[in-house]
Amino acid sequence: MNNAHNKNVLIFLLSSIGLIALPHVGHIPKVLSVFFYLLLSWRFTGIWKRNWLPNKLMVFFLTVCGLALIYSQHQGVFGRNAGTSLFITALALKLLEIKSERDLYLIAYLAFIVAASQFLYEQSLFMAAYILFVCCVLFATLVCINSGKPQPGAALKTASIITVQAIPMAVVLFILFPRVEAPKWLMFNEKNQAKTGLSDYMKPGSISDLGLSGELVFRVKFTGALPPPRQRYWRGPVLSHTDGKRWTQVKDMEFGRFLDKIVFKGPPYQYTLLMEPQDKNWVFALDMPAVFALPLSRNANYQLITDENPDKRAEYKITSYLNYNTGYITRTEYKDATQLAGEPSGKIKQLVKQLHGFDGAPEDFIKHLLNYFRKENFHYTLTPPLMEENPVETFLFETRYGFCSHYAAAFVYSMRVARIPARVVTGYQGGELNTAGNFLEIRQADAHAWAEVWIEGMGWVRFDPTAAVAPERIERNIDIEQLVQGGFISYMPAGAAQEAFNWLKQTRQLWSNIDYNWQRWVINYNGRNQSRFLSSLGIDDIKAMLYWMVCGIGLITALLSWFLLHQKQKAVDPVLRIYNRFCKKIIKQGLQKGAGEGVKDFAGRVKKKLPEQAADINRITGLFIKLRYGRNATLDDLKLFKELVEKFKS
Amino acid sequence: MKPLTLKERFQLSRFFIGEKATDEPVKLNHRRIFILPTHRGLNFAILTALLLLIAFVYNNNLVYLLAFLLASIFFITILHSYKSLAGLILQKGRSKAVFAGEAAGFEILINNPVDVERYNLQITLEQTESLALKPQSKASVILYSLTKTRGWHTAGTVTISSAYPFGLFRVWSPIRFSLKALVYPKPSSLELPFPETPSAQSRQGESRKGADDFYGLKMYLPGDSIKHIHWKAFAKGLGLFSKQYGGDSPAEIWLDYDNAPGRNAEERLSQLCRWVIDAERAGIQYGFSLPGLIISPGFGILHYRKCLEALALF
Repeated sequence: MNNAHNKNVLIFLLSSIGLIALPHVGHIPKVLSVFFYLLLSWRFTGIWKRNWLPNKLMVFFLTVCGLALIYSQHQGVFGRNAGTSLFITALALKLLEIKSERDLYLIAYLAFIVAASQFLYEQSLFMAAYILFVCCVLFATLVCINSGKPQPGAALKTASIITVQAIPMAVVLFILFPRVEAPKWLMFNEKNQAKTGLSDYMKPGSISDLGLSGELVFRVKFTGALPPPRQRYWRGPVLSHTDGKRWTQVKDMEFGRFLDKIVFKGPPYQYTLLMEPQDKNWVFALDMPAVFALPLSRNANYQLITDENPDKRAEYKITSYLNYNTGYITRTEYKDATQLAGEPSGKIKQLVKQLHGFDGAPEDFIKHLLNYFRKENFHYTLTPPLMEENPVETFLFETRYGFCSHYAAAFVYSMRVARIPARVVTGYQGGELNTAGNFLEIRQADAHAWAEVWIEGMGWVRFDPTAAVAPERIERNIDIEQLVQGGFISYMPAGAAQEAFNWLKQTRQLWSNIDYNWQRWVINYNGRNQSRFLSSLGIDDIKAMLYWMVCGIGLITALLSWFLLHQKQKAVDPVLRIYNRFCKKIIKQGLQKGAGEGVKDFAGRVKKKLPEQAADINRITGLFIKLRYGRNATLDDLKLFKELVEKFKS
Repeated sequence: MKPLTLKERFQLSRFFIGEKATDEPVKLNHRRIFILPTHRGLNFAILTALLLLIAFVYNNNLVYLLAFLLASIFFITILHSYKSLAGLILQKGRSKAVFAGEAAGFEILINNPVDVERYNLQITLEQTESLALKPQSKASVILYSLTKTRGWHTAGTVTISSAYPFGLFRVWSPIRFSLKALVYPKPSSLELPFPETPSAQSRQGESRKGADDFYGLKMYLPGDSIKHIHWKAFAKGLGLFSKQYGGDSPAEIWLDYDNAPGRNAEERLSQLCRWVIDAERAGIQYGFSLPGLIISPGFGILHYRKCLEALALF
């Protein structure tokens, strides 16, 4: 590899590596990001100032530094975070030691792994597009290494073309490659990763990665009409007690909590609820259950509990009402619902005061707070940053990225600061309508947390702060067509629905639709979804899957080969092609044009053999010379040439 | 190209040294082109497997997708690698005679008649030459092969290969042309005087000294040195004359195989070769005799070549 060559390739490679590591900056420890980009810039300057590159001893020292950094940040090298850091550090260190083409390849391969590890953190469509682009740049680097003179533009083009050509085959593999869930022992236990699904406590900071598990929790089949999608709240444990971070159920569910009689209004909803096997004896009834039979019972928080073993699939008949009034609460309940862990900070008090929490009616404060979530720069995301200390404050004033549990906790906390009784309710929201069976399917991904506020004269009233920020989260689990044609329906303020049809919100909705489909069909395409999807196409067993996979790949390969070879055929000069046809006609006479033989000499030989056609042969030869070598050949010449050759009979 | 018989088709030698030597131009197609993954390609496959493992452990669909994309790219690269050689037409060019121990140069003409740019072609005989070809262009490359013994030196297998686009696959085509170069014996390094032959015995020393004295003009004969042509006369339109120098006509030596010193045939031939070169340089008429072959005394490039050829093929 010569020097200039080397330089171009290096610039290309280092730039693509800078791009690859960029999204990692958010989630690897800051020290490591700094370490990485420091080494990268060092290597960059090294392209022009070779002497500035570290020597062997220095590289060794840096390696020790890198390992020490990883160890101090992660206490090990296993697991997602530590593994990612390890690969990034290894990549940075390898950069300083480029001696041969082999090293370039090793770096490129490491970069692919780092790019893939990005998906363990974020799986959005944008990220996928970004990584695809970055992979193209990496492949372009490989093209640069393998072309004699690197031309970055041409290399990028070649790499992109090949990548685009590879996409259909990758999609076939993606759809048909058998998915098997990894056995439990293979799962690395990530300290910060909570499994999807409900537990009996909630800790906004700790559930950092609420995976989109498609595991079915229960199915509901209604005898009559279905409740409107935005009212489908399936009630689970109620969390009233907080220690500042964790929210838990109160321990004693009986003492001091005697229930006022609930007054139900509106139409009743009758349904059969089919619970999948669970490890807790909770039954998630539509808020609020009114009629149910043994073995179900309702606890003080209006949650249904079964006495039977939840380990088996069970079916319950329940009637619920969407409108209800729970009446008054006891002093114990009031105490539970206004409990705070210590004195709230001045900042929160300031916020509550600003939103008229201390001097207005509870309803006004709630309205102001929800507006605050909507208007300020709050975001809904399933992968929020970790919040260790003061999660509520960190969320409200610093990060502002979170999902339902963050919003619910922040909402309830603020209520309590204003001495308004409030509590967190967890459960599921929405559910996907299975049109074939006309029942709702509720999956782990539908897990949700919302808030209840006790209001004088109305009892416990449900508020969903998540809906204020991400209405599509509440809306999205209905079928897609409904989502596209149905408008933007904001849950809380009825007024907001009217102004919904401006283009910005439509775009947003379209995007959320795309995103939903992306999540559903790509991110969440697991073994179960795969077998369901494939069996709808008539592919039932693994044998058929493999068969279709081989067929698909074969078909794509055949098409691609045809496409690549076809282009070459087209490339031959039309004049030459026509002349070759002429030569073929002559071959029948036993005369063949020699490899180095001139056109005129050949014509001479042919004329001897076919003297009666000498005139035609002369004209063809003359036109050929004019068309191929002459300056002022016209299209008419070409036409005439073609005609003559076609008419020529040997 | 003639179709191959079934037996020829399965010969392992096609893979390594190519098909039978040919005079014809060779168009590279699926019959001639072979593809295997390189070390880097195998490592790339391992990388893909590693990504699949990550995807499996974390149950992450996008990592699956990336792994499948890499696998597909790997697979499709086979087609592109093939495309990087397919359609090229290789043709044999000329070759020059050399002395044993020197490298014989063989010219190979490469024609790229299609619209595909060839970025990095490697052509290997003993050493590797790299070249790039624009669409619809031609190039020639001279490959050198070290010679050891006199006689005909055949070029052997010329391998054209490429790792474009990603270096994951090496695509190559071994081709044998009936290219050969004549190798003259290696001139002896001993500075021995010319042998004493009956005809030149007495005047040999004198002839070498007097080679610079102008003697007269004679009619030009093919084989006479160009340096000795009387250009002034030619310019006047008088025809071609050769200038004759003092030593020229009388000096005549016989280079005889039997009289050449040396322990064996090769050493004798080597010495004869040396004398031929020296005599030609000195401008002496030299005759030449090998067992079964006599070349009457003469002078000039054609004579010189004839003698060396006889030595090479003896």
